[in-house]
Amino acid sequence: MARRNTYKEDEVLETPFDYHHLLRAFVYIKKYLGKMIFALILSAIGGVTGLFGPMITQKALDVAIPDENVKMLLMLVGLLCICFILSIIFTTVRSKIMINVSQNIIYDIRKDVFEHLQKLPFQYYDDRPHGKILIRVVNYVNSVSDMLSNGLINVVLEIMNLVFIVIFMFCVNVKLSLVVMTGVPILAAFMFWIKNKQRKAWQQVSNKNSNLNAYLQENIVGARITQMFAREEENAETFAELSDRCRTTWFKAVMYSNLVWPGIDNISVWVRAAVFIVGLIFMGAGEVSLGVIVAITSYAARFWQPIMNLGNIFNNFINNIAYLERIFETLDEPVTVDDAEDATELPPIKGDVTFENVTFAYEEGKDVLKNVSFTVKAGESVALVGPTGAGKSTIVNLISRFYNVNQGRVLIDGQDIAKVTLHSLRSQMGIMLQDSFIFSGTIEDNIRYGKLDATTEEIINSSKTVCADEFISRFQDGYQTEVKERGSLLSQGQKQLISFARTLLSDPAILVLDEATSSIDVQTEKALQQGLNAMLQGRTSFIIAHRLSTIKNCDKIMYIDQGGIVECGSHDELIAKKGYYYKLYTAQMDDIA
Amino acid sequence: METKKHSKMAWLWENMKGYRLIYLVGVLGTIVYNVMQLTVPYITQHIIDLFLTGDDAAANLVNKRDLFFQLIIAMIVLTFVRTLIVYLVCMDVEHVSQKVLYRVRTHLFDKIERQDMSFYNTYRTGDLMTRVTGDLDAVRHMIAWVIRSIVESFALLLATAVYFFYMDWRLALSILAIAPFILIVIVLFRNKVAPRHKELREKLSHLNTAAQENISGNRVVKAFAREDYEIKKFDERSVDFSKTNKKTALTWITYFPYIETFANLMSIALLVVGGLFIINGSLTMGEYVAFSGLIWAVQNPMRMLGNIMNEFQRFSAASDKVMEIYYSEPSIVDKEDAIDLPNRFKGKVEFRNVSFKYEDGNLPVLHNISFVANPGETVAIMGETGCGKTSMIQLIPRFYEPTEGEVLIDGINVSDMKLTQLRKNIGLATQDVLLYSDTIDGNIAYGDSSLTKEEVEKFAKYSAAAKFITKMPDGYDTIVGERGVGLSGGQKQRISLARALAVKPAILILDDTTSAVDMETEKQIQHSLNELDFPCTKLIIAQRVSTTKFADKILIIQGGRITEEGTHDELVAKKGYYYSLVQLQTGEEV
Repeated sequence: MARRNTYKEDEVLETPFDYHHLLRAFVYIKKYLGKMIFALILSAIGGVTGLFGPMITQKALDVAIPDENVKMLLMLVGLLCICFILSIIFTTVRSKIMINVSQNIIYDIRKDVFEHLQKLPFQYYDDRPHGKILIRVVNYVNSVSDMLSNGLINVVLEIMNLVFIVIFMFCVNVKLSLVVMTGVPILAAFMFWIKNKQRKAWQQVSNKNSNLNAYLQENIVGARITQMFAREEENAETFAELSDRCRTTWFKAVMYSNLVWPGIDNISVWVRAAVFIVGLIFMGAGEVSLGVIVAITSYAARFWQPIMNLGNIFNNFINNIAYLERIFETLDEPVTVDDAEDATELPPIKGDVTFENVTFAYEEGKDVLKNVSFTVKAGESVALVGPTGAGKSTIVNLISRFYNVNQGRVLIDGQDIAKVTLHSLRSQMGIMLQDSFIFSGTIEDNIRYGKLDATTEEIINSSKTVCADEFISRFQDGYQTEVKERGSLLSQGQKQLISFARTLLSDPAILVLDEATSSIDVQTEKALQQGLNAMLQGRTSFIIAHRLSTIKNCDKIMYIDQGGIVECGSHDELIAKKGYYYKLYTAQMDDIA
Repeated sequence: METKKHSKMAWLWENMKGYRLIYLVGVLGTIVYNVMQLTVPYITQHIIDLFLTGDDAAANLVNKRDLFFQLIIAMIVLTFVRTLIVYLVCMDVEHVSQKVLYRVRTHLFDKIERQDMSFYNTYRTGDLMTRVTGDLDAVRHMIAWVIRSIVESFALLLATAVYFFYMDWRLALSILAIAPFILIVIVLFRNKVAPRHKELREKLSHLNTAAQENISGNRVVKAFAREDYEIKKFDERSVDFSKTNKKTALTWITYFPYIETFANLMSIALLVVGGLFIINGSLTMGEYVAFSGLIWAVQNPMRMLGNIMNEFQRFSAASDKVMEIYYSEPSIVDKEDAIDLPNRFKGKVEFRNVSFKYEDGNLPVLHNISFVANPGETVAIMGETGCGKTSMIQLIPRFYEPTEGEVLIDGINVSDMKLTQLRKNIGLATQDVLLYSDTIDGNIAYGDSSLTKEEVEKFAKYSAAAKFITKMPDGYDTIVGERGVGLSGGQKQRISLARALAVKPAILILDDTTSAVDMETEKQIQHSLNELDFPCTKLIIAQRVSTTKFADKILIIQGGRITEEGTHDELVAKKGYYYSLVQLQTGEEV
């Protein structure tokens, strides 16, 4: 995707639907095929049992009642009861099976979509509003289940039904049956016309709902900003416009969908009229018997019932295919950063990090890093400084392989990180991001995210190391304090301390701190420094910071600008060099004096 | 909560205002086409009787050919008219349901947007989204399908019952006596399924919340390589949802056999009682055929009612959730006699003995804060993480209200002002920078969409953002990802600053806005803040002495109290906390 998507734009469907999407959906059905066939058989038997009902009634009316044979009547009633009971049992069992199947199918699809989403790179999440991803995982998946389970069974049943009726009909009279069949091409033309209209219309519905969801999510998250800028009216207008588009597209879609059923109904009546006219007037009494005409009209009526049912199922299909194609699109989203085929587990990291002629661009032709090479020895601490946007974060992102390099190699302990499993790599890295994301749950849960089996003691210890323990224990519920979604309860500095504790707890071999302490006050930071120093012992670390106080003691300082390393050395060396770093440093000193 | 006072149906009816009449027309149409549905079989039967099976069918075919064609045409025309009515009724109720959906949805959005902070702390994003999407869909379905089906079922049932009684009351009674049993089963079913739907709806909300948070936190998930853990966590919710879904559907399946049995008992009653009546001569065969030809019109509505009840309960569970938001009222609103202040504020900010404490008892707490920032002055606020700085400045735009004391702007208590007017005069750049997935231009002009390109660029320059923006591939038209991903922390902060400046506020509040910006850039920003082309009082929260040094006044907050107040020189001379900060920073950096 060349351009980031917003709520204002419909998403382009990259792989338009064709019928092998349905074949593809078969993957999800295959697992339950046995159960589905069993359900199908039950339905068929249930249907046949149902057919006995009218026969028994007929018998009662034709024989038992005229003969005033009460005993026989009661016997027939008993038979009828058995038929009904059997039919109910079959239907109930089928329904039970299919409830399980359809729920399992939803579950399977959702699991696949969610698991795939976990593999997708940052880029995917950066390129579109999150509301548009969310609607696929939750709403769309919910929608398609019935189509893939009961929908399919009913299609088979109705088609079987149809085939039987057609066979019976032709057995009775070929010519009149052909008259009945004239309705089919008319119907086909009608359905073909409506299908195209309908499909586009339902795609629009899915697009507009997706836009609405995107806008909704951003505005719930950003409500505070809205209020701050007193934008409520304007946003409400935008939302109203998006809602209205949902409304009109929906209306347009049902305009076509609702035509299907009345259309079939009308065609069926034309055909019935044709049978009467052809049968009675043109063929006359000589060629066909009255009984044949009665039979054909009754078959003709039955012939259209399954077709009408199929029409309804078809509507459902068309409607849901708009969702299914979005689901498959998500599943087809390429996993650009994935384990190589022959990926090996990265053994416990010692901590040597090497960049070998690394070139990297987020967008083609716009290199952020050009031919960058450097080596960091195990246990060294490296500071990255330089103007914002110079590529500091990019370098650390490449170490964790959040992106693939375009050229060159990144090596850890001499191993190309592109050739080891992502999990073995990342689980040994501790990365503190600029945006310290806090999950809803307790403070303890949030810290434990770094090491799932950590004891309470370990959690408290790491909090103490990063000076978070003090403020946490001041809360009424201490570590059990529920932080609300994205930690709205906590100040930015507190969030950073918590995510610091989280990173520390994970006991990483390589530590990356990307502006990790920017919002922490100077005194706390000072205290934190001690803990941090202990933490840096024996680990390779990369630190990005604007406050040079944080990095002065690093073993190595790299000044990054213009997509490369401009200067590199210890603090003293660089000061002596009187280059960029010197300038930056003296500028900060001037400020404080 | 308050929602208890409002009945769901009354609420629905209220929101149908303006469409009630056409909705009723639609409902009436439903009755009409159901009646018409009985006419075509009648004509077909007539054709068969007259021209096929009757005694003088052959003669009729020759003599009454006109009638034959008339009947055929009547059959075609009637079907056309009937299906036309069906179509129009469908579109009519779709129209009304969509209009109501639109109305309720925009109302909900408006409500959500205007809530105070305690609301956002209570309701999770995923949960609110479920209410505005899934729950509202149940409300739409109620109007588009459930109500119509109820009318349809009862219309058909009643009409047929009347007809049955008219033909033979004894036979009618023996068939319809079964109906109350079905109704009892349906009531029992309702009692069982209602809590299921409530539960299901909760599980859906949990699922939505889990997915939403995972998507928002995708960077952290990857950073800790916690994909498997996340999958497991989501899987639990997914299993839960799936189980509850099954349970709900199976509840129906438990009751379905009873309903079906009773419905079939009607056929059996007809055969037994009808058969015996024919035998003892009190019923004709013709009458029996009429009964058996219409028995579906009693059975089908009975079967339908179960399904209808199911959907009704879904609506019921969902509408509770929708109405909770629909009727929720923020506690911070304009007073009835709020003072109208259409002109730009001068910008004097005063805290008078302000104390504040969060409702949930959480920290930080403010005690007896008093200070004045005169128009045009710069006041710097410093203090430890979590000491209450952010809480304090949030009282100015009235995001929270002081528990004691008052916050005044230009001598007027902010709680006596109109919220919009108050907030229009304040530019706030928050700690947690939240940008929208929109162009950079759109983000900067967020507070004032009428801003020209030149002005946007000017404010970008003020906040030292112009340089990096123009370097981007699409410049000001670059779309930033949701929450500003793709930009560095410093870049986000500068755009957020430009956004706050762009409303040309009388009062500018910067909550640690330059923490991720490098020193040189920060200097530039400070310089341009002094050169703004509009008068502006500045309240600046910062960690670095370099940022606060030149302020007219520096406030030190410790444990929710102002402990030191004065200029840089005064506070340095005082040798208190501020002095120690200066020492600390110069000691480190010089």
